Amino acid sequence: MKDNLYKAFIDATQNVFNLMLNISEISDCPAGDFKCDDEVDIAIGVTGDLNGKVIYRFPVSTSLNMVNVMSGMQFDSVDAFVTSAISEIANIISGNVLSALSENDMDCDILPPVQCTLDDEKTYEIEASRCISTSIGEICLDIKLNRAA
Amino acid sequence: MLWKDKYELGVPLIDAQHKELFRRVESFLQVLRSAVSWDEKVQKVNETLEFMKGYVVEHFRDEEEYQKSVGYPGYEAHKQIHTGMVDYVLEFSKQYEQSNHDEQLIQQFGGRLLAWLINHVAAEDQRIADYAIKKGASGNEG
Repeated sequence: MKDNLYKAFIDATQNVFNLMLNISEISDCPAGDFKCDDEVDIAIGVTGDLNGKVIYRFPVSTSLNMVNVMSGMQFDSVDAFVTSAISEIANIISGNVLSALSENDMDCDILPPVQCTLDDEKTYEIEASRCISTSIGEICLDIKLNRAA
Repeated sequence: MLWKDKYELGVPLIDAQHKELFRRVESFLQVLRSAVSWDEKVQKVNETLEFMKGYVVEHFRDEEEYQKSVGYPGYEAHKQIHTGMVDYVLEFSKQYEQSNHDEQLIQQFGGRLLAWLINHVAAEDQRIADYAIKKGASGNEG
């Protein structure tokens, strides 16, 4: 279950990066390899057959690169525009994952993206943390979900 | 340039509207992100926002008509995505006016609009073109 879920996120990220940023090559590695001092963390709440959240950890440099590629403009610092744009990308990736899950009779919904911190100490039945590497930087995905009772 | 040729669907009317939409969004972003003071750019930003409210609705209507004309099976789901975006734009617009044209709000709007538009045209709309081409009804002759 955890592996399938994680694969769905990797596939969706690859698809979205390819379509939106023209980046077709991505690879994943253990989250322990993810080192970042300055990041923008976006949480997407999940409800339905799975409950919890997925946190997208975007290093500042990755965030800026993504928005620079999309807009064709130069962004040098993270502001409301950049945070909103990468939040929407997290939303789009999560939406694609839910579509894939629904094909396997898993019925879930997502909540609007919110900027978050990483201080949630709750434990979850399904916890996975992996790093995705692309030519414009890394992203770390923290999956924290419970199956509905 | 925001527009990429790979976004073309092969449907002349819809492609022309997409190009216009991208051109307007690009111009909107250039004003929004320019180095001049907010007081200097607020009028241009507001004019573009007003244009977009009308143009987006018109474009979505034309695109939905096209989907119906080719019997696109994802019509209802696609229409819901359009409705969701129109609702967001109208709700945002109301908040923005009530805030007396707060710059932070419109920066948030600009970021979301950019990502939403690229994904919608590059992914969602492309499915319509794929279906129409498969069915031999792409509209290229129009």
